Amino acid sequence: MRYYELIYIVSSNVERKKNDQTMKEVGEKIQETGSKIINHIVWGKKKLAYPIKNNTYGTYILAHYEGGDNDKLREFDSWLKLSDLAIRHMIVKLDGKPDIVESLEEDKSENDTVEKGEDKSPDEKNLKKEKNKDEENKEAE
Amino acid sequence: MAFQTRRKYCFFKENNITAVDYKDVKLLKRFTNDNGKIMPRRVTGTSAKMHRKVVSAIKRARTIGLMPFVDSGSE
Repeated sequence: MRYYELIYIVSSNVERKKNDQTMKEVGEKIQETGSKIINHIVWGKKKLAYPIKNNTYGTYILAHYEGGDNDKLREFDSWLKLSDLAIRHMIVKLDGKPDIVESLEEDKSENDTVEKGEDKSPDEKNLKKEKNKDEENKEAE
Repeated sequence: MAFQTRRKYCFFKENNITAVDYKDVKLLKRFTNDNGKIMPRRVTGTSAKMHRKVVSAIKRARTIGLMPFVDSGSE
């Protein structure tokens, strides 16, 4: 089975209620192709690196699905491009089955990368903390 | 007075990262210069295998508006 990731940007001028509506519409279209939706979540409002169709901000929405009928998926791609729902979209084939994600928080992912970058330092920090605690305990006694 | 030699190393091998995601902008920004250009392998020291993945991830991030094609620094 093939797994795909769809990411699309909705203009941030659009109200939240309409966001839900577009998500519903896109979700229905995906299901029409015989695909199985795994995730369909809002990533959040972000500043675009460059203006797209005169928008400087956009709401990113992410969807993971299991591929269905190939011809219909191609049709879905062009439908999303022609419709006014999203200002930009991209479909990427995934290597493996995606995990079920309930929410994507920007802060979390940033913290993760920082931790990866400093593999050794957290241990040192912990050691220092423990030492400090020991000293405090001694003082308390 | 001798020149201090800086050891070049593959960032991904050092941190045991095997996959690069185009959504991880903070990681990808390491591999672009201030103008938003992708830096060559001889500068970053990345292994050939991972550099190919980084390049495709940066290009994907560009098309979806997460990273700039050209960062003029005006904003």
